[in-house]
Amino acid sequence: MAGKNHPIEKKVEQEVIDLALAKAIADGDIVNFRFLFLPYSPLREDSTEDIDSIKYSYLLPTEEEEQSLLFKSALELVSRADIREHVQKELHKKGPAQLPSDLLLALADNAVYHEKFTSASQAFELLRIRRRMQDLFFEEGEKELAKNNISTAVRAYRMASALEYDYSAFPEPLPAVPRYHDQALILHAEYKIRWAECIGNLPLESFLKAGFNYLFLLPEHAGRITVKPLEIQVPFLVELIRQTDPKWEQFVLRVKEVIPLMHDLYQELKMRVDRIADGHLWEDEWDEGLNTEKYLEISEKLLGRKLEQKNWWTYLKELAYEHAPSALFITRQMIGKEQEIIIPRYNFDNPIVQQLSLPLLPEIS
Amino acid sequence: MNEDVYIDYFSVLGLDEECKTGDVRKNYKKMMKDLILEIHSSEVTPDRLDQYLLSMAKLNAGFYILRDDERRNAYIEHRKKVIQLEKQWCETWEKDPTSPDADRFRREYDRILRDFLTKYMEELVLESGRDKECVETSNWDSHHERHASRVLRHYRQKLYSQIHERLPYYDVTQPIINWSEREQTVKQILRRGKE
Repeated sequence: MAGKNHPIEKKVEQEVIDLALAKAIADGDIVNFRFLFLPYSPLREDSTEDIDSIKYSYLLPTEEEEQSLLFKSALELVSRADIREHVQKELHKKGPAQLPSDLLLALADNAVYHEKFTSASQAFELLRIRRRMQDLFFEEGEKELAKNNISTAVRAYRMASALEYDYSAFPEPLPAVPRYHDQALILHAEYKIRWAECIGNLPLESFLKAGFNYLFLLPEHAGRITVKPLEIQVPFLVELIRQTDPKWEQFVLRVKEVIPLMHDLYQELKMRVDRIADGHLWEDEWDEGLNTEKYLEISEKLLGRKLEQKNWWTYLKELAYEHAPSALFITRQMIGKEQEIIIPRYNFDNPIVQQLSLPLLPEIS
Repeated sequence: MNEDVYIDYFSVLGLDEECKTGDVRKNYKKMMKDLILEIHSSEVTPDRLDQYLLSMAKLNAGFYILRDDERRNAYIEHRKKVIQLEKQWCETWEKDPTSPDADRFRREYDRILRDFLTKYMEELVLESGRDKECVETSNWDSHHERHASRVLRHYRQKLYSQIHERLPYYDVTQPIINWSEREQTVKQILRRGKE
Protein backbone atom coordinates (compact mmCIF):
# COMPACT_ATOMS: atom_id res chain seq x y z
CA MET A 1 0.00 0.00 0.00
CA ALA A 2 1.31 3.42 -0.83
CA GLY A 3 1.87 5.85 1.99
CA LYS A 4 4.55 7.80 3.79
CA ASN A 5 6.62 4.67 4.41
CA HIS A 6 5.97 3.13 1.01
CA PRO A 7 6.85 5.68 -1.65
CA ILE A 8 5.33 5.05 -5.04
CA GLU A 9 7.68 4.42 -7.87
CA LYS A 10 6.24 5.56 -11.13
CA LYS A 11 7.38 7.71 -13.98
CA VAL A 12 5.10 10.10 -15.81
CA GLU A 13 6.47 10.86 -19.25
CA GLN A 14 6.90 14.51 -20.21
CA GLU A 15 4.86 13.85 -23.35
CA VAL A 16 1.86 12.76 -21.26
CA ILE A 17 2.15 15.86 -19.06
CA ASP A 18 2.25 18.04 -22.18
CA LEU A 19 -0.76 16.32 -23.71
CA ALA A 20 -2.88 16.60 -20.55
CA LEU A 21 -2.03 20.26 -20.02
CA ALA A 22 -2.55 21.11 -23.69
CA LYS A 23 -5.96 19.45 -23.66
CA ALA A 24 -7.11 21.40 -20.59
CA ILE A 25 -5.87 24.63 -22.19
CA ALA A 26 -7.43 23.94 -25.60
CA ASP A 27 -10.74 23.03 -23.91
CA GLY A 28 -10.57 26.16 -21.73
CA ASP A 29 -11.16 23.87 -18.77
CA ILE A 30 -9.91 25.43 -15.54
CA VAL A 31 -11.20 22.60 -13.36
CA ASN A 32 -9.08 19.97 -15.12
CA PHE A 33 -6.15 22.35 -15.36
CA ARG A 34 -6.07 22.99 -11.61
CA PHE A 35 -6.66 19.32 -10.90
CA LEU A 36 -3.47 18.45 -12.79
CA PHE A 37 -1.46 20.39 -10.18
CA LEU A 38 -3.24 19.17 -7.03
CA PRO A 39 -1.36 16.94 -4.54
CA TYR A 40 -3.22 13.84 -5.79
CA SER A 41 -2.86 14.72 -9.47
CA PRO A 42 -2.13 11.67 -11.63
CA LEU A 43 0.69 13.71 -13.20
CA ARG A 44 2.62 13.72 -9.93
CA GLU A 45 5.08 10.92 -9.53
CA ASP A 46 4.38 10.67 -5.81
CA SER A 47 0.64 10.36 -6.26
CA THR A 48 -1.22 7.06 -6.02
CA GLU A 49 -3.34 8.12 -8.99
CA ASP A 50 -2.40 6.72 -12.37
CA ILE A 51 -2.83 8.78 -15.53
CA ASP A 52 -2.99 5.57 -17.62
CA SER A 53 -6.03 4.43 -15.69
CA ILE A 54 -9.27 4.43 -17.68
CA LYS A 55 -10.88 6.84 -15.20
CA TYR A 56 -8.44 9.54 -16.27
CA SER A 57 -8.81 9.01 -20.01
CA TYR A 58 -10.88 12.23 -20.10
CA LEU A 59 -7.73 14.19 -19.24
CA LEU A 60 -5.98 13.14 -22.45
CA PRO A 61 -6.90 14.24 -25.97
CA THR A 62 -8.51 11.97 -28.55
CA GLU A 63 -6.83 11.60 -31.95
CA GLU A 64 -9.39 13.97 -33.42
CA GLU A 65 -8.78 16.58 -30.73
CA GLU A 66 -5.06 16.40 -31.35
CA GLN A 67 -5.68 17.68 -34.88
CA SER A 68 -7.44 20.88 -33.78
CA LEU A 69 -5.63 24.18 -34.19
CA LEU A 70 -6.36 25.20 -30.60
CA PHE A 71 -4.80 21.99 -29.31
CA LYS A 72 -1.74 22.30 -31.53
CA SER A 73 -1.09 25.83 -30.41
CA ALA A 74 -1.58 24.84 -26.73
CA LEU A 75 0.82 21.93 -27.17
CA GLU A 76 3.40 24.26 -28.66
CA LEU A 77 3.05 26.52 -25.64
CA VAL A 78 3.37 23.78 -23.01
CA SER A 79 6.41 22.37 -24.81
CA ARG A 80 8.35 25.59 -24.26
CA ALA A 81 11.50 24.83 -22.23
CA ASP A 82 10.86 27.42 -19.51
CA ILE A 83 7.26 26.29 -19.05
CA ARG A 84 8.23 22.61 -18.92
CA GLU A 85 10.83 23.44 -16.31
CA HIS A 86 8.32 25.37 -14.19
CA VAL A 87 5.66 22.67 -14.51
CA GLN A 88 8.13 19.95 -13.47
CA LYS A 89 9.21 22.02 -10.48
CA GLU A 90 5.63 22.55 -9.34
CA LEU A 91 4.71 18.90 -9.85
CA HIS A 92 7.57 17.89 -7.58
CA LYS A 93 6.89 20.58 -4.99
CA LYS A 94 5.24 19.78 -1.67
CA GLY A 95 2.43 22.22 -1.08
CA PRO A 96 0.20 24.29 -3.37
CA ALA A 97 1.53 24.71 -6.89
CA GLN A 98 2.13 28.08 -8.50
CA LEU A 99 0.27 27.91 -11.80
CA PRO A 100 2.11 29.11 -14.91
CA SER A 101 0.42 32.34 -16.00
CA ASP A 102 1.17 31.91 -19.72
CA LEU A 103 -0.80 28.68 -19.75
CA LEU A 104 -3.59 30.18 -17.69
CA LEU A 105 -3.91 33.12 -20.06
CA ALA A 106 -4.16 30.84 -23.11
CA LEU A 107 -6.72 28.74 -21.24
CA ALA A 108 -8.79 31.82 -20.40
CA ASP A 109 -8.83 32.99 -24.02
CA ASN A 110 -9.93 29.55 -25.23
CA ALA A 111 -12.58 29.41 -22.53
CA VAL A 112 -14.07 32.70 -23.76
CA TYR A 113 -13.98 31.39 -27.32
CA HIS A 114 -15.83 28.21 -26.25
CA GLU A 115 -18.22 30.41 -24.22
CA LYS A 116 -17.17 28.64 -21.01
CA PHE A 117 -17.45 31.91 -19.18
CA THR A 118 -17.18 30.70 -15.60
CA SER A 119 -13.90 29.04 -16.50
CA ALA A 120 -12.67 32.15 -18.28
CA SER A 121 -13.58 34.52 -15.49
CA GLN A 122 -11.90 32.32 -12.88
CA ALA A 123 -8.71 32.22 -14.93
CA PHE A 124 -8.76 35.99 -15.56
CA GLU A 125 -9.47 36.59 -11.89
CA LEU A 126 -6.45 34.49 -10.91
CA LEU A 127 -4.38 36.54 -13.33
CA ARG A 128 -5.95 39.71 -11.84
CA ILE A 129 -6.98 41.04 -15.23
CA ARG A 130 -10.66 40.07 -15.26
CA ARG A 131 -12.08 43.61 -14.95
CA ARG A 132 -9.70 44.94 -17.57
CA MET A 133 -10.64 42.10 -19.93
CA GLN A 134 -14.31 42.89 -19.37
CA ASP A 135 -13.60 46.50 -20.32
CA LEU A 136 -11.77 45.37 -23.46
CA PHE A 137 -14.76 43.33 -24.59
CA PHE A 138 -17.12 46.24 -23.88
CA GLU A 139 -14.83 48.63 -25.78
CA GLU A 140 -14.70 46.23 -28.72
CA GLY A 141 -18.48 45.98 -28.60
CA GLU A 142 -18.70 49.77 -28.83
CA LYS A 143 -16.40 49.83 -31.85
CA GLU A 144 -18.48 47.17 -33.59
CA LEU A 145 -21.66 49.10 -32.80
CA ALA A 146 -20.14 52.19 -34.37
CA LYS A 147 -19.53 50.12 -37.52
CA ASN A 148 -23.11 48.83 -37.29
CA ASN A 149 -21.90 45.22 -36.86
CA ILE A 150 -24.71 44.37 -34.48
CA SER A 151 -24.02 40.65 -34.32
CA THR A 152 -20.37 41.03 -33.30
CA ALA A 153 -21.22 43.90 -30.97
CA VAL A 154 -23.78 41.76 -29.18
CA ARG A 155 -21.28 38.91 -28.93
CA ALA A 156 -18.72 41.27 -27.41
CA TYR A 157 -21.27 42.63 -24.93
CA ARG A 158 -22.41 39.15 -23.97
CA MET A 159 -18.83 38.04 -23.36
CA ALA A 160 -18.01 41.12 -21.32
CA SER A 161 -21.11 40.70 -19.19
CA ALA A 162 -20.52 36.98 -18.71
CA LEU A 163 -17.07 37.63 -17.26
CA GLU A 164 -18.70 39.21 -14.21
CA TYR A 165 -17.82 37.98 -10.72
CA ASP A 166 -20.19 37.57 -7.82
CA TYR A 167 -18.44 38.88 -4.72
CA SER A 168 -21.43 38.20 -2.51
CA ALA A 169 -21.32 34.45 -3.20
CA PHE A 170 -20.93 32.34 -0.10
CA PRO A 171 -18.39 31.37 1.19
CA GLU A 172 -16.01 32.63 -1.51
CA PRO A 173 -16.53 34.88 -4.55
CA LEU A 174 -17.49 32.95 -7.66
CA PRO A 175 -18.09 33.74 -11.32
CA ALA A 176 -21.54 35.26 -11.74
CA VAL A 177 -23.92 33.08 -13.72
CA PRO A 178 -27.26 33.86 -15.33
CA ARG A 179 -30.20 32.71 -13.21
CA TYR A 180 -33.01 33.24 -15.67
CA HIS A 181 -35.22 30.67 -13.92
CA ASP A 182 -35.15 32.88 -10.80
CA GLN A 183 -35.14 36.22 -12.61
CA ALA A 184 -38.22 35.24 -14.61
CA LEU A 185 -40.12 34.64 -11.37
CA ILE A 186 -39.15 38.09 -10.11
CA LEU A 187 -40.24 39.56 -13.44
CA HIS A 188 -43.67 37.94 -13.07
CA ALA A 189 -43.98 38.14 -9.28
CA GLU A 190 -47.00 40.40 -9.54
CA TYR A 191 -50.19 39.34 -11.33
CA LYS A 192 -50.97 41.96 -13.97
CA ILE A 193 -54.61 42.98 -13.89
CA ARG A 194 -54.36 45.06 -17.06
CA TRP A 195 -52.90 43.83 -20.30
CA ALA A 196 -51.11 47.11 -20.76
CA GLU A 197 -49.01 46.27 -17.71
CA CYS A 198 -47.75 42.96 -19.11
CA ILE A 199 -44.07 43.12 -20.00
CA GLY A 200 -44.68 42.37 -23.67
CA ASN A 201 -47.23 45.17 -23.86
CA LEU A 202 -45.07 47.85 -22.26
CA PRO A 203 -44.17 50.92 -24.35
CA LEU A 204 -41.06 50.21 -26.44
CA GLU A 205 -38.61 52.10 -24.25
CA SER A 206 -39.77 50.38 -21.05
CA PHE A 207 -39.82 47.03 -22.79
CA LEU A 208 -36.21 47.49 -23.95
CA LYS A 209 -35.11 48.43 -20.46
CA ALA A 210 -36.85 45.41 -18.95
CA GLY A 211 -35.35 43.17 -21.64
CA PHE A 212 -31.76 44.33 -21.20
CA ASN A 213 -31.99 44.27 -17.42
CA TYR A 214 -33.29 40.72 -17.54
CA LEU A 215 -30.86 39.35 -20.10
CA PHE A 216 -27.64 40.95 -18.86
CA LEU A 217 -26.04 39.86 -15.61
CA LEU A 218 -25.94 43.33 -14.08
CA PRO A 219 -28.04 46.49 -14.49
CA GLU A 220 -24.75 48.37 -15.15
CA HIS A 221 -24.20 46.25 -18.24
CA ALA A 222 -27.75 46.91 -19.41
CA GLY A 223 -27.26 50.61 -18.67
CA ARG A 224 -24.48 50.78 -21.24
CA ILE A 225 -26.95 50.03 -24.01
CA THR A 226 -30.15 51.64 -22.72
CA VAL A 227 -28.57 55.08 -23.05
CA LYS A 228 -28.24 54.62 -26.81
CA PRO A 229 -30.85 55.65 -29.39
CA LEU A 230 -33.78 53.31 -29.98
CA GLU A 231 -32.56 52.60 -33.54
CA ILE A 232 -29.59 50.84 -31.97
CA GLN A 233 -31.37 49.29 -29.01
CA VAL A 234 -34.05 47.52 -31.08
CA PRO A 235 -31.77 45.46 -33.38
CA PHE A 236 -29.42 44.95 -30.46
CA LEU A 237 -32.13 43.35 -28.32
CA VAL A 238 -33.34 41.21 -31.23
CA GLU A 239 -29.82 39.91 -31.78
CA LEU A 240 -29.22 39.49 -28.05
CA ILE A 241 -32.36 37.35 -27.80
CA ARG A 242 -31.28 35.21 -30.74
CA GLN A 243 -27.76 34.73 -29.37
CA THR A 244 -28.99 34.03 -25.83
CA ASP A 245 -31.48 31.47 -27.12
CA PRO A 246 -30.21 29.80 -30.29
CA LYS A 247 -33.39 27.67 -30.32
CA TRP A 248 -35.69 30.71 -30.33
CA GLU A 249 -37.61 29.49 -33.41
CA GLN A 250 -38.77 26.49 -31.41
CA PHE A 251 -40.47 28.83 -28.94
CA VAL A 252 -42.06 30.78 -31.81
CA LEU A 253 -43.53 27.54 -33.19
CA ARG A 254 -44.94 26.70 -29.77
CA VAL A 255 -46.59 30.11 -29.51
CA LYS A 256 -48.23 29.48 -32.89
CA GLU A 257 -49.48 26.12 -31.62
CA VAL A 258 -51.27 27.61 -28.61
CA ILE A 259 -53.14 30.31 -30.51
CA PRO A 260 -56.32 28.21 -31.11
CA LEU A 261 -56.46 27.37 -27.40
CA MET A 262 -55.98 31.03 -26.48
CA HIS A 263 -58.79 31.92 -28.84
CA ASP A 264 -61.14 29.42 -27.12
CA LEU A 265 -60.09 30.62 -23.68
CA TYR A 266 -60.73 34.27 -24.48
CA GLN A 267 -64.13 33.45 -25.98
CA GLU A 268 -65.11 31.51 -22.89
CA LEU A 269 -63.87 34.24 -20.55
CA LYS A 270 -65.73 36.86 -22.54
CA MET A 271 -68.92 34.83 -22.43
CA ARG A 272 -68.61 34.57 -18.67
CA VAL A 273 -68.00 38.29 -18.30
CA ASP A 274 -71.12 38.97 -20.40
CA ARG A 275 -73.17 36.56 -18.29
CA ILE A 276 -72.04 38.30 -15.11
CA ALA A 277 -73.01 41.64 -16.64
CA ASP A 278 -76.44 40.22 -17.59
CA GLY A 279 -76.93 38.88 -14.10
CA HIS A 280 -76.95 35.23 -15.21
CA LEU A 281 -73.78 34.33 -13.29
CA TRP A 282 -72.54 35.28 -9.85
CA GLU A 283 -69.23 37.10 -9.95
CA ASP A 284 -67.60 34.80 -7.42
CA GLU A 285 -68.67 31.76 -9.43
CA TRP A 286 -67.10 33.02 -12.64
CA ASP A 287 -64.93 29.91 -13.09
CA GLU A 288 -67.57 27.30 -12.41
CA GLY A 289 -67.50 24.57 -15.03
CA LEU A 290 -64.49 26.06 -16.80
CA ASN A 291 -62.44 23.28 -18.40
CA THR A 292 -59.13 24.10 -16.70
CA GLU A 293 -57.49 20.87 -17.93
CA LYS A 294 -57.97 22.04 -21.50
CA TYR A 295 -56.36 25.41 -20.90
CA LEU A 296 -53.51 24.01 -18.85
CA GLU A 297 -52.39 22.66 -22.19
CA ILE A 298 -51.32 26.23 -23.08
CA SER A 299 -48.55 26.11 -20.47
CA GLU A 300 -47.68 22.55 -21.47
CA LYS A 301 -47.49 23.38 -25.15
CA LEU A 302 -45.37 26.47 -24.50
CA LEU A 303 -42.90 24.36 -22.56
CA GLY A 304 -43.19 21.40 -24.89
CA ARG A 305 -43.98 18.90 -22.15
CA LYS A 306 -46.26 18.20 -19.18
CA LEU A 307 -45.06 18.75 -15.64
CA GLU A 308 -46.24 16.93 -12.58
CA GLN A 309 -46.68 20.19 -10.68
CA LYS A 310 -49.12 22.30 -12.62
CA ASN A 311 -48.29 25.64 -11.00
CA TRP A 312 -47.69 28.56 -13.31
CA TRP A 313 -44.33 29.22 -11.65
CA THR A 314 -43.07 25.69 -12.28
CA TYR A 315 -43.79 26.11 -15.98
CA LEU A 316 -42.31 29.59 -16.02
CA LYS A 317 -39.09 28.47 -14.32
CA GLU A 318 -38.54 25.63 -16.73
CA LEU A 319 -39.47 27.70 -19.75
CA ALA A 320 -37.07 30.47 -18.70
CA TYR A 321 -34.35 27.88 -18.23
CA GLU A 322 -34.84 26.55 -21.75
CA HIS A 323 -35.81 29.74 -23.60
CA ALA A 324 -34.61 32.57 -21.36
CA PRO A 325 -36.01 35.48 -23.46
CA SER A 326 -39.48 33.90 -23.60
CA ALA A 327 -40.18 35.38 -20.14
CA LEU A 328 -40.43 38.79 -21.82
CA PHE A 329 -43.30 37.69 -24.04
CA ILE A 330 -45.58 35.82 -21.66
CA THR A 331 -47.83 36.69 -18.76
CA ARG A 332 -49.83 34.99 -16.02
CA GLN A 333 -53.48 34.28 -16.73
CA MET A 334 -56.11 33.09 -14.24
CA ILE A 335 -58.26 30.23 -15.47
CA GLY A 336 -59.87 29.57 -12.13
CA LYS A 337 -59.95 31.06 -8.67
CA GLU A 338 -57.00 28.91 -7.72
CA GLN A 339 -55.50 28.11 -11.07
CA GLU A 340 -53.18 30.16 -13.23
CA ILE A 341 -51.35 29.40 -16.42
CA ILE A 342 -48.66 31.15 -18.43
CA ILE A 343 -49.79 32.51 -21.73
CA PRO A 344 -48.14 34.50 -24.54
CA ARG A 345 -48.86 38.22 -24.37
CA TYR A 346 -47.15 40.98 -26.32
CA ASN A 347 -47.83 43.95 -28.50
CA PHE A 348 -47.66 42.92 -32.14
CA ASP A 349 -46.80 46.52 -33.11
CA ASN A 350 -43.57 46.25 -31.14
CA PRO A 351 -40.82 46.04 -33.82
CA ILE A 352 -38.96 43.49 -31.71
CA VAL A 353 -41.94 41.15 -31.72
CA GLN A 354 -42.12 41.30 -35.51
CA GLN A 355 -38.39 40.87 -36.03
CA LEU A 356 -38.48 37.80 -33.80
CA SER A 357 -41.23 36.28 -36.04
CA LEU A 358 -43.72 36.04 -33.20
CA PRO A 359 -47.32 35.61 -34.47
CA LEU A 360 -50.29 37.92 -34.00
CA LEU A 361 -52.16 36.91 -30.84
CA PRO A 362 -55.95 36.75 -30.39
CA GLU A 363 -57.45 39.64 -28.43
CA ILE A 364 -60.22 39.64 -25.87
CA SER A 365 -62.79 42.32 -26.50
CA MET B 1 0.78 51.39 0.44
CA ASN B 2 -2.83 52.49 0.42
CA GLU B 3 -4.21 51.69 3.87
CA ASP B 4 -7.77 52.81 3.11
CA VAL B 5 -8.72 49.31 2.02
CA TYR B 6 -8.40 48.26 5.66
CA ILE B 7 -11.60 49.97 6.70
CA ASP B 8 -10.69 53.06 8.71
CA TYR B 9 -13.61 53.89 11.01
CA PHE B 10 -11.96 57.09 12.17
CA SER B 11 -12.11 58.52 8.68
CA VAL B 12 -15.62 57.07 8.18
CA LEU B 13 -16.68 59.38 11.04
CA GLY B 14 -14.36 62.19 9.95
CA LEU B 15 -12.15 61.87 13.05
CA ASP B 16 -8.58 61.05 14.02
CA GLU B 17 -7.21 58.46 16.43
CA GLU B 18 -6.96 60.98 19.29
CA CYS B 19 -10.67 61.81 19.26
CA LYS B 20 -12.82 61.61 22.39
CA THR B 21 -15.99 59.54 22.82
CA GLY B 22 -18.01 62.75 22.76
CA ASP B 23 -16.66 63.61 19.31
CA VAL B 24 -17.52 60.11 18.09
CA ARG B 25 -21.12 60.48 19.23
CA LYS B 26 -21.44 64.04 17.88
CA ASN B 27 -20.08 63.21 14.43
CA TYR B 28 -22.02 59.95 14.21
CA LYS B 29 -25.34 61.63 14.96
CA LYS B 30 -24.70 64.45 12.53
CA MET B 31 -23.55 62.21 9.71
CA MET B 32 -26.41 59.74 10.21
CA LYS B 33 -28.93 62.58 10.20
CA ASP B 34 -27.46 63.94 6.95
CA LEU B 35 -27.51 60.48 5.40
CA ILE B 36 -31.15 59.88 6.34
CA LEU B 37 -32.08 63.27 4.89
CA GLU B 38 -30.25 62.40 1.67
CA ILE B 39 -32.02 59.04 1.44
CA HIS B 40 -35.41 60.68 1.87
CA SER B 41 -34.71 63.34 -0.71
CA SER B 42 -33.52 61.06 -3.52
CA GLU B 43 -34.98 58.37 -5.70
CA VAL B 44 -33.89 55.01 -4.28
CA THR B 45 -32.80 52.64 -7.05
CA PRO B 46 -31.61 49.10 -6.15
CA ASP B 47 -27.99 50.22 -6.60
CA ARG B 48 -28.42 53.27 -4.41
CA LEU B 49 -30.27 51.21 -1.85
CA ASP B 50 -27.20 48.97 -1.44
CA GLN B 51 -24.96 52.02 -1.26
CA TYR B 52 -27.10 53.73 1.38
CA LEU B 53 -27.36 50.56 3.39
CA LEU B 54 -23.60 50.16 3.33
CA SER B 55 -23.02 53.79 4.36
CA MET B 56 -25.51 53.44 7.21
CA ALA B 57 -23.94 50.16 8.34
CA LYS B 58 -20.45 51.72 8.29
CA LEU B 59 -21.57 54.70 10.37
CA ASN B 60 -23.27 52.42 12.90
CA ALA B 61 -20.20 50.19 13.11
CA GLY B 62 -17.83 53.15 13.40
CA PHE B 63 -19.84 54.55 16.30
CA TYR B 64 -20.24 51.16 17.99
CA ILE B 65 -16.53 50.32 17.78
CA LEU B 66 -15.00 53.71 18.55
CA ARG B 67 -17.21 54.75 21.44
CA ASP B 68 -16.06 51.79 23.54
CA ASP B 69 -12.40 51.89 24.66
CA GLU B 70 -11.94 48.13 24.65
CA ARG B 71 -13.44 47.65 21.21
CA ARG B 72 -11.62 50.72 19.88
CA ASN B 73 -8.21 49.51 21.11
CA ALA B 74 -8.75 45.99 19.81
CA TYR B 75 -9.71 47.43 16.43
CA ILE B 76 -6.66 49.74 16.27
CA GLU B 77 -4.34 46.87 17.21
CA HIS B 78 -5.85 44.47 14.72
CA ARG B 79 -5.67 47.03 11.93
CA LYS B 80 -2.06 47.90 12.70
CA LYS B 81 -1.14 44.23 12.76
CA VAL B 82 -2.66 43.48 9.38
CA ILE B 83 -0.95 46.51 7.81
CA GLN B 84 2.37 45.54 9.33
CA LEU B 85 2.05 41.93 8.18
CA GLU B 86 1.32 43.00 4.63
CA LYS B 87 4.49 45.07 4.67
CA GLN B 88 6.54 42.25 6.17
CA TRP B 89 5.28 39.71 3.70
CA CYS B 90 5.88 41.94 0.68
CA GLU B 91 9.39 42.80 1.83
CA THR B 92 10.33 39.17 2.50
CA TRP B 93 8.80 38.11 -0.79
CA GLU B 94 10.73 40.74 -2.71
CA LYS B 95 14.00 39.49 -1.25
CA ASP B 96 13.33 35.81 -1.91
CA PRO B 97 9.91 34.50 -2.91
CA THR B 98 10.97 30.91 -2.26
CA SER B 99 12.04 31.50 1.35
CA PRO B 100 10.00 29.72 4.07
CA ASP B 101 9.57 33.09 5.79
CA ALA B 102 7.84 34.54 2.77
CA ASP B 103 5.37 31.67 2.77
CA ARG B 104 4.90 31.90 6.53
CA PHE B 105 4.21 35.64 6.42
CA ARG B 106 1.82 35.18 3.51
CA ARG B 107 -0.23 32.56 5.36
CA GLU B 108 -0.27 34.56 8.57
CA TYR B 109 -1.19 37.75 6.75
CA ASP B 110 -3.99 36.03 4.87
CA ARG B 111 -5.42 34.58 8.08
CA ILE B 112 -5.26 37.89 9.98
CA LEU B 113 -6.67 39.79 7.01
CA ARG B 114 -9.64 37.46 6.67
CA ASP B 115 -10.28 37.69 10.41
CA PHE B 116 -10.03 41.48 10.27
CA LEU B 117 -12.46 41.83 7.39
CA THR B 118 -14.91 39.32 8.84
CA LYS B 119 -14.88 40.96 12.24
CA TYR B 120 -14.88 44.63 11.27
CA MET B 121 -16.76 44.45 8.00
CA GLU B 122 -19.38 41.93 8.93
CA GLU B 123 -19.74 40.67 12.49
CA LEU B 124 -19.44 43.96 14.38
CA VAL B 125 -21.36 45.80 11.71
CA LEU B 126 -24.33 43.49 12.16
CA GLU B 127 -23.88 43.61 15.94
CA SER B 128 -23.96 47.41 15.88
CA GLY B 129 -27.32 47.24 14.11
CA ARG B 130 -28.74 45.67 17.27
CA ASP B 131 -27.24 48.28 19.57
CA LYS B 132 -29.91 50.39 21.27
CA GLU B 133 -28.34 53.76 20.48
CA CYS B 134 -27.63 52.82 16.86
CA VAL B 135 -31.18 51.54 16.40
CA GLU B 136 -32.60 54.78 17.82
CA THR B 137 -30.46 56.99 15.60
CA SER B 138 -30.55 55.04 12.36
CA ASN B 139 -33.90 53.18 12.64
CA TRP B 140 -32.02 50.05 11.71
CA ASP B 141 -34.26 46.96 11.93
CA SER B 142 -34.38 43.27 11.03
CA HIS B 143 -35.18 44.07 7.36
CA HIS B 144 -32.02 46.14 7.13
CA GLU B 145 -30.04 43.35 8.73
CA ARG B 146 -31.35 40.72 6.36
CA HIS B 147 -30.52 42.77 3.31
CA ALA B 148 -27.24 44.01 4.76
CA SER B 149 -25.81 40.50 5.13
CA ARG B 150 -25.52 40.16 1.35
CA VAL B 151 -24.32 43.73 0.83
CA LEU B 152 -21.66 43.38 3.52
CA ARG B 153 -20.42 40.06 2.19
CA HIS B 154 -20.14 41.60 -1.26
CA TYR B 155 -18.25 44.61 0.12
CA ARG B 156 -15.94 42.50 2.29
CA GLN B 157 -15.03 40.12 -0.51
CA LYS B 158 -14.54 42.98 -2.94
CA LEU B 159 -12.18 44.64 -0.48
CA TYR B 160 -10.33 41.35 -0.10
CA SER B 161 -10.03 41.09 -3.85
CA GLN B 162 -8.81 44.70 -4.13
CA ILE B 163 -6.14 44.08 -1.50
CA HIS B 164 -5.20 40.81 -3.14
CA GLU B 165 -4.64 42.57 -6.47
CA ARG B 166 -1.79 44.68 -5.16
CA LEU B 167 0.02 41.79 -3.45
CA PRO B 168 2.77 39.70 -5.03
CA TYR B 169 1.57 36.85 -7.24
CA TYR B 170 1.87 33.56 -5.36
CA ASP B 171 -0.82 31.22 -6.69
CA VAL B 172 0.15 31.97 -10.30
CA THR B 173 3.41 33.23 -11.76
CA GLN B 174 3.38 36.96 -12.44
CA PRO B 175 1.87 37.42 -15.89
CA ILE B 176 3.44 39.77 -18.38
CA ILE B 177 0.47 41.35 -20.07
CA ASN B 178 0.85 43.16 -23.35
CA TRP B 179 -2.39 45.10 -23.60
CA SER B 180 -2.19 45.81 -27.31
CA GLU B 181 -1.78 42.07 -27.85
CA ARG B 182 -4.78 41.51 -25.58
CA GLU B 183 -6.83 43.85 -27.76
CA GLN B 184 -5.88 41.83 -30.81
CA THR B 185 -6.82 38.60 -29.02
CA VAL B 186 -10.25 40.00 -28.17
CA LYS B 187 -10.76 40.94 -31.82
CA GLN B 188 -9.66 37.46 -32.91
CA ILE B 189 -11.99 35.73 -30.47
CA LEU B 190 -14.89 37.80 -31.78
CA ARG B 191 -13.91 37.14 -35.40
CA ARG B 192 -13.45 33.41 -34.83
CA GLY B 193 -16.95 33.29 -33.40
CA LYS B 194 -18.32 34.74 -36.61
CA GLU B 195 -16.64 32.21 -38.88
